[in-house]
Amino acid sequence: MTHTPRATPPPADHDATPPVVIQLEGVHHRFGRHRVLQGIDLTLRQGECVALYGANGSGKSTLLALLATLLTVRQGQYRLDGLDVTQHGNEARDKLLFVGHQTHLYGHLTPVENLLFFRDLRGLDLPESRLRQAIDTVGLAKAADKPVQWFSAGMRKRLALARMLLAHPRLLLLDEPYSALDIQGVHWLNAILTDYLRAGGALVMASHDPERVAALPHRPHHLARGVLSPMPLPQPPLPEPTPC
Amino acid sequence: MKILKKIQTLLGVATLVLLAVGLWFVYNAPEDFQQGGAVRILYIHVPSAKMALLSYLFLTVASALYLWKRSETADILAEAATSVGAAFTAITLASGSIWGKPMWGTWWAWDARLTSMLVLLILFKGLMVLRNSMDDPVKGARATAILAIIGAVDLPIIHYSVVWWRTLHQPPSMAASGNAGVHISGPLLPPLLILSGAFMLMGLYMVTVKARQIEARRRLDALESARMHPDE
Amino acid sequence: MLKAIYRIAWKDVAGDLRRRATLSSMLFFAISVLIVFQAAFEPDRKEALRLLPGLLWATTLFTTLVGLGRVFQAEEEDGAFEGLLLASVPRGVIFFGKWLGNLLLTLLVEFLILPLTLVLFNVDAWSHVPAILGILTLGTLGLTGLGTLLAAMTRGARSRETLLALLLLPLTAPMLIAGVQAIAGVLLQNGAVEPWLKLLIIFDLVYLAMAPWAFGWLVEE
Repeated sequence: MTHTPRATPPPADHDATPPVVIQLEGVHHRFGRHRVLQGIDLTLRQGECVALYGANGSGKSTLLALLATLLTVRQGQYRLDGLDVTQHGNEARDKLLFVGHQTHLYGHLTPVENLLFFRDLRGLDLPESRLRQAIDTVGLAKAADKPVQWFSAGMRKRLALARMLLAHPRLLLLDEPYSALDIQGVHWLNAILTDYLRAGGALVMASHDPERVAALPHRPHHLARGVLSPMPLPQPPLPEPTPC
Repeated sequence: MKILKKIQTLLGVATLVLLAVGLWFVYNAPEDFQQGGAVRILYIHVPSAKMALLSYLFLTVASALYLWKRSETADILAEAATSVGAAFTAITLASGSIWGKPMWGTWWAWDARLTSMLVLLILFKGLMVLRNSMDDPVKGARATAILAIIGAVDLPIIHYSVVWWRTLHQPPSMAASGNAGVHISGPLLPPLLILSGAFMLMGLYMVTVKARQIEARRRLDALESARMHPDE
Repeated sequence: MLKAIYRIAWKDVAGDLRRRATLSSMLFFAISVLIVFQAAFEPDRKEALRLLPGLLWATTLFTTLVGLGRVFQAEEEDGAFEGLLLASVPRGVIFFGKWLGNLLLTLLVEFLILPLTLVLFNVDAWSHVPAILGILTLGTLGLTGLGTLLAAMTRGARSRETLLALLLLPLTAPMLIAGVQAIAGVLLQNGAVEPWLKLLIIFDLVYLAMAPWAFGWLVEE
């Protein structure tokens, strides 16, 4: 894992522009009479990462839920790999993976069983050994056959992220991925995400933690009152605070 | 919603006029040779039964429209029709019961119509409770709309299962006399028609008032929630 | 897709057997209901035979309510319901998975209750057990179908269990009538079984056709 900031994404107008993964055009969303997202435009290409910043209630989680198809786009357009997501929800869900605040794990099942559940609901054709391998990679090998209900928040997070290693999604959506992870976990996650982006994945994450995201090549965006606007490209990491 | 405000008064006046005319006819109508004066209850009973079913039909259409178009107006109309329908169903049951005492000798018989009406009343009540017990009004609206459509499919099955039950299981004594009571003809017909029309107008009037009230309440709720969360 | 249905049902049934949560509470609830009936009606042998169909169905219905209150319990923890919705299968498949799990648990309880009822009420109807179980199963298909849908509908509602009962009981009137009459027909050997079986099948078909569709509408935000 390198710590040199590789801030600039490949120039956009280059000849070999990677294909577009997400295209959002004029997306509005409201809960009842309450406007949560207003005129969101976003294009994300293969190998790119967009980091969403913003205060609580600014619409970050709503935007991620929309991208994850948990909310339906009723105004505006959302295309994933050129596919209209409103019409082709299942195909879209097949291409994306969402890891939110909640880890969608069943407490009474073991990690292996939880991943079996994930595998069958996603229609993946993988032997159990691959699932154990993924559990190993996220550092949970010792707990692979213990019910998840006794796990700490960090262990749950790791297990949720292990799904990423199985599904190879085109689009990865992470809501506060660094929360609950220890320093080791953060390094490990950033290493995996870097590999994922290099291999042509696309990533949207919401975070409160620019310092941790800084290790990834990314475009920061800011959400305020439901309006999304690009932020200046990340500066080189802030100078270490001078010791008092 | 603005149209409703305009037609509300008109509907109210028309309802009153038609009700007055209809009731005058009822007052002057001859007694039934079998049922005597008790037949007059049917002038209330039959139109309100019709309105109970019509309200459910209206509710089903509004619910389908809401699911399809997500129009809030459709949802408001559905909510209004639920309360109005419940009221008419309750009137139907009460008047049927009052009529049944002199005619059948009991307040209640498990005949197909009465049983279906009772189920209908519970269904209306269930729809209201379902809507009110959801914290998220959009979820409440959607769940209620779906339940209304399920009920629309279930009601005929309920009706026919009770009919079969009574005909296969018991000699159709009460069921037959119950049916006979509703066949009205000759001089009894005009007041029934007029009152049916009056009840229909009354139903529309009630839906109008209720819908405007619901709309106002929702606007208030939205204002209140905006006041509570100013920065969202 | 069948694999997904199986996996959801497996998760619910295995989870329940592991925690011994729903199954045992349903079973003991059913026994309590039987005790209530015994105390309320004190039937002798002949009356018990006449009451048996209604007794069985009423117990089944109340017991189902206990099970339905918990159908989505595992999904309330840790956003697992959201996880289900993220699966790349049609919504109807998710519904059928949840339904199958609930159906299996309910049937298991019914199969345990029937002999218990015959013993507790001193009814000699052992030769009819297969037929009665068949009728119970037939009714339970649609009952759990409607019930699972209503359980999904009342997710996040206040005083949910009461609401579930209020919604489920009137809508199951046809099933109750047909189920009771069918079992009575078998017990009394008076032949009028077939029309009631047909009604049960209609009930099943209507609900199992409607519920997955309705479930899809319900979860689409």
